[in-house]
Amino acid sequence: MSSPERAKSGAKPGLKPAPKAAKAKAAPAKAVAKSAPAPARAAKAAGGAGRTAPADKAAFLKAMAKGVAPNSAASRKLVEKKGSPFAPAPAAQAPRVEVLRRIPAPPVVVNTPESDAALQLAAAIERMLETGDMGKLQPHAQQALVASLCKLYAANQEAGERYAILGGRTLVAATDVMVVCGALLKAVDLQVFELGMWQSWSAG
Amino acid sequence: MAEQFVGKASEFKDGERQIIRIGEAEIGVFRHAGEFYAYSNFCLHQGGPACEGLTIARVEERLRPDKTSMGLFFSEKDMNFVCPWHGYEYDMKTGAHISDPRLKLRKYDVVQKGDEVYVVA
Repeated sequence: MSSPERAKSGAKPGLKPAPKAAKAKAAPAKAVAKSAPAPARAAKAAGGAGRTAPADKAAFLKAMAKGVAPNSAASRKLVEKKGSPFAPAPAAQAPRVEVLRRIPAPPVVVNTPESDAALQLAAAIERMLETGDMGKLQPHAQQALVASLCKLYAANQEAGERYAILGGRTLVAATDVMVVCGALLKAVDLQVFELGMWQSWSAG
Repeated sequence: MAEQFVGKASEFKDGERQIIRIGEAEIGVFRHAGEFYAYSNFCLHQGGPACEGLTIARVEERLRPDKTSMGLFFSEKDMNFVCPWHGYEYDMKTGAHISDPRLKLRKYDVVQKGDEVYVVA
């Protein structure tokens, strides 16, 4: 029996009983889709018989009719598929705070009685400069002050107490610094060349 | 815009700074005189790390009543921070450039809830 004939016999089962072989092949067609018209069912069953096992196809179609069960392998495949409408929307990621650097506060100033006295003297010298009374602090007093400050700063550097010789809140002109540095070098009979040599040999 | 936890105020000493990254933004969080300030860490000049340079009091000129200058002094109340690349100087309280206040670093709100400090970004 050719395929069209089988289809015909399936289309009108009431007129002529179908042979056993045809019945057996048509049986899975019941599972296809009950809403489909009878001729289509028969044609589907007849056409599909050559390519896929009817039982497999029926199982597949049953599964399709039921829908994809959640947490099944099929559902996972659907979710993983690129561009799938079943894929979950990417969650909005909350920005995280990452600390890149901590910059510590400047060291806290601790005042001692000696520091207070030195600050008062510095303030008095500033007032002298403002008013133009530069002769109030006699040269021998200035020499003693500069000498002791030189020794104190150098001793602290030697001891590993490294700090800048001028504070952040000091307004000293570059010219003033050059004048004092030149005078200090001259006082101890040093040339700028020797200072350069010493600095290149040490970390000073 | 969401509040992002930065740290505890008790662990954030006065004068201290933190450079943080929130998403794509790099932000400098300052604590100065008890207040918190947060600005973009990208200098308006050439994109240098604006919040990582010196913090220095504003220099102001004091005048006598007859308008003669008494010289330059550091301000007792106004603090600036300076970009370490080319010296662009910004006001700590506003983030505005000192010489051209039209230029302002992006400012982020800082919220303090109890001991916790949050930056709104």
